[in-house]
Amino acid sequence: MTAADTRVADQPPVFSVRNLWKVFGPRAERVPATPELAELSPEALRERTGCTVGVRDVSFDVRPGEVFVVMGLSGSGKSTLVRCLTRLIEPTSGSIAIDGEDVCAMDRNALRELRRRRAAMVFQHFGLLPHRTVLDNVAYGLEIQGVPKLRRRAKAAEMIEKVGLSGMEGRRPAQLSGGQQQRVGLARALAADPEVLLFDEPFSALDPLIRRDMQEEVVRLHRDEGRTMVFITHDLAEALHIGDRIALMRGGRVVQCGTPEEIVGSPADDYVRDFVRDVPREQVITVRRAMRPATLAEARGSSGPTVAAGTTVAEAIDVVARDGSPARVLDDGRCVGIVDFKCLLRVVAGLEGPGRLEKAAA
Amino acid sequence: MSTTGTTTPRSVATAPRAQEPAGRLRALLRRPAARRLLPLAAAGAVLAPLAHVLWGSEAWPDALSVSLDGPLRSAGDWIVDNRDSHWLFLYFFGYVSAGLIAAVHAVYVVLLALGWAGVTAGAALVAWRAAGVRAGVTALASFAVCGLLDMWVPTMRTLALMVVAVVASVVVGALLGLAAGLSERAFRVLRPVLDTMQALPAFAYLLPVVLVFGIGVAPAVLATVVYAAPPMARLTALGLRSTDRGVLEAVESLGATPRQRLLTARLPMAREQLLLGVNQTIMMALSMAVIASVIGADGLGDRVYQALSTVDVGAALAAGIPIVLLAVVLDRTTSGRTSRAVVPRGGTSARTRTATTWALGLAAIAALALTVPDTWPRSWTVRIARPVNQAKDWLVDHLYTGLPGIGGTADWAAHYTGWIVDPLRDTLQGLPWWAALLLVAALARAIGTWRTTATAVAALAAIGVMGRWTTAMDTLSQVLAAVAATLVLGFAVAVAVARSARTERLLRPVLDVFQTMPQFVYLIPVVALFGVGRAPAAAAAVVYALPAVIRIAGEGLRAVSPGALESSRSLGATGRQQLLQVQFPLARPALLLAVNQAVVLVLSVVIIGALVGGGGLGYEVVFGLARGDLAVGLVAGVSIACLGLMLDRVTQPTKGAHDAR
Repeated sequence: MTAADTRVADQPPVFSVRNLWKVFGPRAERVPATPELAELSPEALRERTGCTVGVRDVSFDVRPGEVFVVMGLSGSGKSTLVRCLTRLIEPTSGSIAIDGEDVCAMDRNALRELRRRRAAMVFQHFGLLPHRTVLDNVAYGLEIQGVPKLRRRAKAAEMIEKVGLSGMEGRRPAQLSGGQQQRVGLARALAADPEVLLFDEPFSALDPLIRRDMQEEVVRLHRDEGRTMVFITHDLAEALHIGDRIALMRGGRVVQCGTPEEIVGSPADDYVRDFVRDVPREQVITVRRAMRPATLAEARGSSGPTVAAGTTVAEAIDVVARDGSPARVLDDGRCVGIVDFKCLLRVVAGLEGPGRLEKAAA
Repeated sequence: MSTTGTTTPRSVATAPRAQEPAGRLRALLRRPAARRLLPLAAAGAVLAPLAHVLWGSEAWPDALSVSLDGPLRSAGDWIVDNRDSHWLFLYFFGYVSAGLIAAVHAVYVVLLALGWAGVTAGAALVAWRAAGVRAGVTALASFAVCGLLDMWVPTMRTLALMVVAVVASVVVGALLGLAAGLSERAFRVLRPVLDTMQALPAFAYLLPVVLVFGIGVAPAVLATVVYAAPPMARLTALGLRSTDRGVLEAVESLGATPRQRLLTARLPMAREQLLLGVNQTIMMALSMAVIASVIGADGLGDRVYQALSTVDVGAALAAGIPIVLLAVVLDRTTSGRTSRAVVPRGGTSARTRTATTWALGLAAIAALALTVPDTWPRSWTVRIARPVNQAKDWLVDHLYTGLPGIGGTADWAAHYTGWIVDPLRDTLQGLPWWAALLLVAALARAIGTWRTTATAVAALAAIGVMGRWTTAMDTLSQVLAAVAATLVLGFAVAVAVARSARTERLLRPVLDVFQTMPQFVYLIPVVALFGVGRAPAAAAAVVYALPAVIRIAGEGLRAVSPGALESSRSLGATGRQQLLQVQFPLARPALLLAVNQAVVLVLSVVIIGALVGGGGLGYEVVFGLARGDLAVGLVAGVSIACLGLMLDRVTQPTKGAHDAR
């Protein structure tokens, strides 16, 4: 874990979710309440009660300033989960807290305030109002809040500039490309200056090149503003690219929650292992995990290249290959290990020893 | 349908002959249609002999009839006696009636004060701003023609009644639609009612309002509102309900209140449907405002009505042309907006320009209203009644009969009546009453659900109970013959339209115009061609129903997936095979809908065909109105509603039934 991660971990969480259930169907509340029913597989449950489970006993924390990615295949419950956070879908049981405040206990007005000012959402299919111009779409959230026209338009113009749509203020959504429409959606969410941004598969409907542009945009936004983000996706590459931490969902359950490196480096079960099999490991795993202990001579010596502990293996390969000799891994200026050709190649070949991994994860 | 006519392999292999009947039966039972009708056949087999023994097999048995004439007559008398004294009339209906009369009068006075120049210019301005230059010019020319034909005053009377009725219909319809759009329960209650109301002929609405309000302008407006509000309500509800879920969720996620959601998202997004609703309401209102002349609405409809009753085709045409022009102008003006919705709104400069245009236009209208005399100048009128009547006399002399080889229009009409309608009527009237009920049940069950079947049978039985069986069968025979003609012609043209884009392009504007015209005006040309009787009524009904049938069937056939057609072509199917084996089966829902529309539209015209000698239930309504005998008219009106309901349900393909296949 890097220093920044540790700092983040110490602060109280933005979202704190505990034992969250969402069951669809008749008399849904009895399912999480009855241990016997709660244990059933989805098929058996549907047969016995006619209910479908969306989210099954999920707990996690979203820390301030991090990008928390919820990732899973379609039907895994991830979209339901993110909607439960602001009760766009009413959870069946469990607790959700935002900054320590109980979301489930909020009345209609408090909930509206939460949605207006603290958590804004970006949708897969944009959800723009077709009869309004780009400017009025971006200003819509502020209009709902009752901000006077001139002020909300000024703010909207600022947001439009921020997402790179200057000059398109007067257009209608139908006159924009998919990527541009999603930029409008993003600007609309940003206009309210929310504490948390919720993304529901925002880029799934876009074609690959534009998708990468938009991912860069989100990474840039996060770097510039440090806003907390909850990001839903079914695209593993996207999750690894922008996520600080990833919760991997399957059948409504979170099967593993951790940093990209933990997910790829030490999959919790066969499902996750299968899932991450084709990931280019050298781009995710850092030298901290790849290195071997330094001999005394190596640790003391000052010759040869050095790499920081957070460097990815791919970058380390570049360094080691150019120099031709093993590199020392430095953490806070102290040598914590050595990476040589052998260590690095073992990562590429997928051969890191399991014992070593457990130690690193601990 | 894969099992059609096949026997099980084992029976074929072992003893083909002995097993065949059983195998056939089993195969037959496997057909869904047969399975659906089997319970009905069983019930019929038990009940029919029973009915025969108990009540005989003639037309509807007297034992099962209830005479409503007495009670209705006394109810009518009570209403007439108490109209000026009972609180219900004094404080409720009285105010409604007085308010409507005052409103219509006020609009009329304003129209007169504006004068012909002011009204024409105003109509042109509104049409231009709403739908473009062409609509503006159309409006200008149309109003000028109304004046030229010396129909200015009746046109203004009709327009005044229309304005009040449309405003009331839109308000009532929008409120109902809002309720149905926002509340699931209201939607479930209102939807079948609105659907049914749209299937009923206009004539069915006249009598109940007359019963309460008497004859005059107020009941005419009310009947028009009852007839014209349902499409507005329906489209408002549909528009509100079809709002994109994703957008609504996004709006919700921004913390909108329900009110904000309605005003900023749902209503603006339903805009097209709302405008379509206004358009349809206006067209329906015009149609009804004209028909309402039989209950005392003056204006253009009244002129046509009077002229038709003396078979004065020239005078009828002189009043009919303004009706058609009014329909065209109103349709062009109100449907033009829909297509402009996509154009981005301009900035402030554009808005100032719009405001300036309006201000200048209104100033010009005011100037015209003040300077030009109010009434259309006498010397500018053209009387077309006489030349038209002369032309019609020429038609009578030369085309009615004795054309070598093909006979003449009067001969055709006589043949149609004598060879087709009369035998059909005699068959229907001679049909045992229980057989008729069973037949209706079987037809309804074949494509509908148990519920539609029950409604259809109950509606037909109700006609019998009210003692209008024979008359209803007369009307039914006219409807069936006209529907058959409509479908043969309509499907033939639809196939042509689906085949060639050029035919479609040529036909489209014609269909557009024909679909906007009120039912009433179709009676004028057919009287000129065929005289009076059931044949002209049928001809008017066919012409009225054709555009809708062609459009629905044509669109259905064209919507058949090109992939399916291509694959059948690649297998070497001929054009005929493609049509019968691919296009017709795949377009089945659209074709069934076309049949349903044909039945509904034909019925509505066959009923008003009573005004040109069509007889049947419509005649009883007219007769009841003319004689002031409300009981006769009212029972006939209810019978018309029942007949409409029955015909609609028999031909109504339901989604559930379709899925079951």
